[in-house]
Amino acid sequence: MIVCQNCKSQEPDGTIFCSECGTQLMEINSVQTQKFAENADDLHGTASNVNLRIASENSWISLHLLDSGKILPFSDRKEFTLGRLSDNQPIEPDVDLSPFKAFDNGVSRLHAVIRYKDGNVVMVDVGSSNGTYINGIRILPNIEHPLRHGDIVALGKLKMQIILS
Amino acid sequence: MPNRAENYYSILGLLRSAEQHDIRRAYLRAAKRLHPDTNNGPGETELFLDVQKAYQVLSDPSKRATYDAMLPPEEDVISVVNQRVLISRRELSSLKETQLVYLLIDLSPAEEYKKNASSVPMNICMVVDCSTSMKGANLDKVKATASQLIQNLKPQDIFSVVTFNDRAEVIIPATRQANTLKMDNRIQLIQTSGGTEILHGLRAGLEEVSRYRNPSFINHIILLTDGHTYGDEQACYDLAKDAAQRGIGISSLGIGNDWNDIFLDQLASLTGGHTMLVSQPKDIERLLTEKFATFSNTFAENVTLEYELDEGIEISYVFRLQPETDPIVMENPLRLGPILLAWPLSILIEFIVRPHALKDELVTLIHGQLGIATNVNSLPVPPMPIDITLIVKENISPTVPPPPIIQALSKLTLYRIQEKARIEVSAGNYEKATAHLQRLAAHLLSQGERSLAKTVMLEIENIEKKNTYSDTGEKNIKYGTRALLWPEEKKS
Repeated sequence: MIVCQNCKSQEPDGTIFCSECGTQLMEINSVQTQKFAENADDLHGTASNVNLRIASENSWISLHLLDSGKILPFSDRKEFTLGRLSDNQPIEPDVDLSPFKAFDNGVSRLHAVIRYKDGNVVMVDVGSSNGTYINGIRILPNIEHPLRHGDIVALGKLKMQIILS
Repeated sequence: MPNRAENYYSILGLLRSAEQHDIRRAYLRAAKRLHPDTNNGPGETELFLDVQKAYQVLSDPSKRATYDAMLPPEEDVISVVNQRVLISRRELSSLKETQLVYLLIDLSPAEEYKKNASSVPMNICMVVDCSTSMKGANLDKVKATASQLIQNLKPQDIFSVVTFNDRAEVIIPATRQANTLKMDNRIQLIQTSGGTEILHGLRAGLEEVSRYRNPSFINHIILLTDGHTYGDEQACYDLAKDAAQRGIGISSLGIGNDWNDIFLDQLASLTGGHTMLVSQPKDIERLLTEKFATFSNTFAENVTLEYELDEGIEISYVFRLQPETDPIVMENPLRLGPILLAWPLSILIEFIVRPHALKDELVTLIHGQLGIATNVNSLPVPPMPIDITLIVKENISPTVPPPPIIQALSKLTLYRIQEKARIEVSAGNYEKATAHLQRLAAHLLSQGERSLAKTVMLEIENIEKKNTYSDTGEKNIKYGTRALLWPEEKKS
């Protein structure tokens, strides 16, 4: 017997998706919500002239959170959703920004998507409440916007710099 | 056509390990198809004589043994169809609890046959509802599309049209040498009146298709209706089963909001056919043209899966993911539908394993065989066995199911949540229904299906206010979630 974490429905062993709410019940590493602990690379503590490209060797993109100075590298997945985890949430974001004051900064539970597409990196706001800004300009929801190395992106008020490798 | 060593086994489409009852069944099937009274292809009478001879030898154990001794060792059977079978788990837990197993079967034409395949001749009957409600754009579109399809018929194709309301009328009888101009005139004269009694139409349609039924043709009925039929549903199902046994498929186009989708789904599914939703008259042309393209692109029609299950094992859900997405009625044999040249046939089966099935260290999940009739080879294809055995263990190692199964289920689950919501609404559990739909909407949003999500949200409102779906909502959600399963290429 498996108990669905989302809706508490009881499902037979071997069920892959909850028959009541559709939540994926089997843990499949690549699609789990990625949680970043407080011990992520701390830029502010290191030398002042940091070369942003060294963030992580295999990652294609890293997010440099400006307030906390943390760097979040991504290597495995070519697309991820940004948001914050909360209780009773049917869709969980791939990347949970809760440890970085996501709630206080107005990040929606499912805020935006960053994806690697045909050699370019694009960002889509998926209908967030407080909007997504690229270099201070609010982007229209549900439209792909290109991202360049060094762009400053804000989810609500949570600012981060894009580091492409 | 690749050479296949011709021997008595291959003539009957059997493996060398065939049992006596398999031999008998294969013989009867072949004899029925090739009997001089009914066959119509060149060389079929000669083939019939070979079949007779083969059966005489193989049905007699001592003659068979002598014959087997002189046969060269069995070569690998050149398979006409490639099969891929994926399973969600190889091990079952010996703990006494109910467990689920998923099986994904993909069947595609072998490359060497793909190249040589030519378009298959068709024997199609369009059964058109001409009740009063079809008047206007719907019937006009049907007429226009039918005329267009007639223009594109190949000389060997057989085409007929039947209309029905309270009774049926054969507008164009099945004929070999079509006079397209005359056919077109007859179609333009179709008028509307009366009600909808589908059984009459189907019966007449089946008669037309049966007249020139030929195993090397695509034999199919296309039903177009916009209404409910009353009281004759069961008779229609019986007719569909009969049609399926004769190798005749039924597909249907439901037009507008008032047709009975549960009935048409069941009807088509009994024959391995496909059901389509026509929400606007302009869809009629596209869907019919697509359906005809599917026919001429068919590699094998009416694939079946005949199976035996051990006690404690049940099949709880069967769904065709492609080439056409439809739920499959759980009959034995399962009628899986066609393999197309360009699209493999892909079937997902959900099994329930009850605790009392776990008596031994090994459990046979399914013992079955796929029946495949194809036109590319004059000899029948031997049945392809599907035998799955699982290991029963106390401590099973956690495994990740193959990605294609996960991918298919991630979409299919949404379709099934929609099914649940409908059941809840008809049972009067409105709160449960809206809870299901809420979750469906959330998943749709996260997959970027905004317009379908919006439809779902509107229906939630409807159910909250009026305790029922809107006229269009139920079907739009059903066929909308079904369309999520389409392969990427088809969506665009």
